[in-house]
Amino acid sequence: VNDDFNAFLHAESAEGDFTVAVKDVIDVAGMPTTAASKILRRVPERDATCVARLRAAGAAIVGKLNTHEFAYGALTNSPHFGPALNPWNPKHTTGGSSGGSGAAVAAGLVDIALGTDTAGSIRIPAAFCSVTGHRPTIGLVPTEGVFPTAWSLDAVGPLAPTATACRRALELMAGRTLEETARDLRIGVVTSLLERAQPEVAAVCEAAIRDLPGTLEPVRVPLHDEIATITQLVMLPEATAGHLGWLRTRLADYGPDVRARLLAGLFLPATAHVTGLRARRWARQEFERELGGYDLLVAPAMPTTPPRLDAVPATYRLDLMPYNSPAALLGLPVTIVPCGFVDDLPVALALTGRRGEDGVPLATAEWFQKVTDWHLRRPVDHASATELYTSRLAQPGRG
Amino acid sequence: MGSESSSVERLREIAEGQGVSPSDDDLEAVLDFVRRLLPALAELEERLPAETSP
Repeated sequence: VNDDFNAFLHAESAEGDFTVAVKDVIDVAGMPTTAASKILRRVPERDATCVARLRAAGAAIVGKLNTHEFAYGALTNSPHFGPALNPWNPKHTTGGSSGGSGAAVAAGLVDIALGTDTAGSIRIPAAFCSVTGHRPTIGLVPTEGVFPTAWSLDAVGPLAPTATACRRALELMAGRTLEETARDLRIGVVTSLLERAQPEVAAVCEAAIRDLPGTLEPVRVPLHDEIATITQLVMLPEATAGHLGWLRTRLADYGPDVRARLLAGLFLPATAHVTGLRARRWARQEFERELGGYDLLVAPAMPTTPPRLDAVPATYRLDLMPYNSPAALLGLPVTIVPCGFVDDLPVALALTGRRGEDGVPLATAEWFQKVTDWHLRRPVDHASATELYTSRLAQPGRG
Repeated sequence: MGSESSSVERLREIAEGQGVSPSDDDLEAVLDFVRRLLPALAELEERLPAETSP
């Protein structure tokens, strides 16, 4: 692998019909799993279920991809393995935590990359690297063999050059065909996320939204600000509980930001997680009541273009939370689709579907990619690659 | 929570009670975050409809 972007932590040659690389929290038989940490070192004997299903369908598993340490952050800048670099401009972040996955696809190093998304970790790098990504409905893809971040929020999904390739990979991992519909949709435009975004980003997104196939109506997400807090109440105790043994014995071996985040989970009262679970049900009820009639919600995927690695704003994580927390907390499917550039850096839309209806945002993204060419633009010269992925992965009856 | 130093001490007690021994720097790094989240938690507890189960 000619990896100029520090996307890979481990690479091997392999034979197959299409190439897949895997975020390094997902087990591949015979390859080390490190989670870009100094602590985790295991060489599993078995593939994670999602990997095994892709391998059975002809995938060549070619390596493990860089991630934020333990997939617990939004930058992919592990102090132990170094940052993944954005192929559109290596001075800028890929986002994270699946930053190696975004970089590998954007650079044309693989046909499909797998990522995980607890609170935005597929969506952020897909948007920042101008590739298509899909956070599936919670539970659609098995997480067996995936090192957990927060059990009740974790989802495994694909990043790829096209929505068609994402859909095919997702179907293989889920073990079933997804319903396809992208016509006569009732689409809610989340105006608060347009208003919060950088004006240039919002303008690009507004123009793209007008191209979507359906009736557009402005909407607001109920309890939107509270949802970020609720997500923290669910995520922090789960993540800290998963690391408690190492917090006791290997605390100094965590990078500073992940160590702080994991310690924070120790200081919430015992009732906090239960309150978070109760509040999640409340938020889900309010969401269903106000937005359940929409086939799709659309918003800017991120409020800004990817920041420079040496100038990440102090409010970076907080700024991203309103864009990522609702689907994470409620377990909804989201497809990220590239829709333009600002100052030569990527901008994308987030298409959020109803729980269990992953085919709707994916089919809408496929439709969008038939009438636009943003997904075909590449930071390096591998223009023919997209045709290859599409022709190889869209063949009926494959797998 | 009281003053910053006493807050750090309080956090240390809680951490050590769970078998974790953070440094002062570790605790100071997390203090602001905890100070923001705990009031948000309290507010949420007040607003959450009582009949809502997990």
